[in-house]
Amino acid sequence: MAMDPNLLVGISMVTTGLVLGAIFALTAAGVTIVYGCIWLPNAASGQLFLLAPLVLWSFTIGFGIEPVLAALLVLAAGLPLAYLVERLLIRRFYDVPDRNISYFVITLGITQILSGIFSLTWGRWSDQYNVPPLAAGVTFIGPFPLPTNRILALGCALTLLAALFLALRYHRFGRALRAVFQNREAAALRGVDVRRVYLGSFLLGTSVIFAGGLLYSMAYSFDLSVAWSMGIAAFAIMIVGGPGSVLGALVVGMLFGFVQAVVSVFASPTVATLSYLLAMLLILLLRPSGLFAR
Amino acid sequence: MTSADSRRSRMLWLGGAALAVAVPLAVAGNRFAAFIVGIVFVHILWTAGMNLLYGYTGLVSMMTAGIAGIGAYVTTNLVMSHGWSFWLAMPVSAVGAAAVGVILGLPALRLRGFYFVLSSLVIQSAVTLVFVYFPQFTNGDTGITQIPHPRLWLPGEGAVELKGAAFEILLGLLAFAGVGIVHLIVRSRMGAFIMAIREDDLLAEELGIDVTRYKVLVFFIGSLLMGVGGAFYASYVGFISPRSFDVLVSLNIWLMVAFGGRGTILGPIIGCIILVPIPFVLQDLYMLKDIFYGLLIIVVTVAMPAGVYGTFLQRRRAREQAAVAALETSRRAAERIAAQ
Repeated sequence: MAMDPNLLVGISMVTTGLVLGAIFALTAAGVTIVYGCIWLPNAASGQLFLLAPLVLWSFTIGFGIEPVLAALLVLAAGLPLAYLVERLLIRRFYDVPDRNISYFVITLGITQILSGIFSLTWGRWSDQYNVPPLAAGVTFIGPFPLPTNRILALGCALTLLAALFLALRYHRFGRALRAVFQNREAAALRGVDVRRVYLGSFLLGTSVIFAGGLLYSMAYSFDLSVAWSMGIAAFAIMIVGGPGSVLGALVVGMLFGFVQAVVSVFASPTVATLSYLLAMLLILLLRPSGLFAR
Repeated sequence: MTSADSRRSRMLWLGGAALAVAVPLAVAGNRFAAFIVGIVFVHILWTAGMNLLYGYTGLVSMMTAGIAGIGAYVTTNLVMSHGWSFWLAMPVSAVGAAAVGVILGLPALRLRGFYFVLSSLVIQSAVTLVFVYFPQFTNGDTGITQIPHPRLWLPGEGAVELKGAAFEILLGLLAFAGVGIVHLIVRSRMGAFIMAIREDDLLAEELGIDVTRYKVLVFFIGSLLMGVGGAFYASYVGFISPRSFDVLVSLNIWLMVAFGGRGTILGPIIGCIILVPIPFVLQDLYMLKDIFYGLLIIVVTVAMPAGVYGTFLQRRRAREQAAVAALETSRRAAERIAAQ
């Protein structure tokens, strides 16, 4: 059966847009939850997004651990790491009024440390990283062949997004988190342990960013430059969607995913990055509270 | 200011000018050391501009390297592609960089705190992408090599290439002039106004200070220093690429000011002298620099917000106050004894 090449390009654009959009939305949700809750603009989100798949790559290629087990190990190892960062660096600023500037600078420092570590270690081992697929083979959706692994990544990302959304809406912790989002003092008065919620939101946000990175590595091969482009995309999504707005992160994340998919076909991914930067600047100047302000 | 203070300050300035000449001469025999000295001088000029913006006006601008890059690329293009003299190209591109700095600084008039920092970081990232994506002017990621040194016309000798210790002395005097300009501004009425803006710009506006005007002025002067530094950096090093002026460079210029002591004249100079040589000393492991600088950024933010020199000043002030208090107590005690 001969297939129209334009149709094929179109289908691949739609699937890429879906996969990228879901991963963007997930990662940006991780960044925006932390900003909304503890006022921490995580400039290191891109490097953290890259850290998880790099470790996964070492676990699977280097040590030959099963991909699923390795991915779970990475997520599990991320928790004590995030706890340590919260304990050492973040907790001490909780009562400082202008803490978002301090947090921003600290996470920029973390960005520089991680990018130094990456170029000293993984950067010397390889230029391009391919993680072994969780599921091999090709699945036909109608007449269109798609890598099963990519469909799996999409499924996981959408499931995680749905779980995150439901947990924030209905779970006890999610409700406490949203209460702290809206009014820290009132939440404290109603018996919410604000500091625990802060810690929880930081652990949750960091894990979500790690999960985004792992899913990205399932769907695509990657290199070290992913950190910068992803960091910029996540920040742009947060600012455009409205800092602290998970709904904004979902909608704008999906939108940006499709933008990236379309622009990458007709121009280069860098043009997409440039358009995120401009979108962010425009929103900052015209409507700093974002499109989906709470 | 007492006359003893002003004499000490004059000595310090004379000493500074003497060092700007003496240090390059002292290390002239060792090209490697001399090169590090030259680079330190360029950074002192850059941090003088950053100190004016961040240290005295409170504008945490993360696009300083981008502005320096504009000065560097414009100068290099005018000299290499259009045959301009460096001495014409440099001031033209520095004024150009300053004008761009004012335009890119306009968000600072609307955005406060974190939102301004973010917007400047966004602008810096966009400027870097522009450097990469206009290869006809920048040669893209590969960068521009073999940028010529400026030429000087000496009576009797004609055109002579500026090189060796003479170049470093010129950079030293430039750095000295840059710090001097910032010092004069800080001492003037404008200095009082911009520090008021740093402490509380809404209150400053209420008090009748034209905040917009002074912010624009600070961006112009700061960016001018960046642009001059960038132009000289390009012709001194002979090589520039988008990486020479990217986000991390901006962040590190911030670090040198913050680590040394923001809002002090000596602090950023100390920051440059300590931090700039590190990647050169590390040689093959220069990538360790990123890890080290990153750790320092965190340490300064968490534990030493006043910086090395600022903390020293605070300690000295505390000691002096303690000494005055002790003197006062003993005087009172003596009076009590005398009264009995």
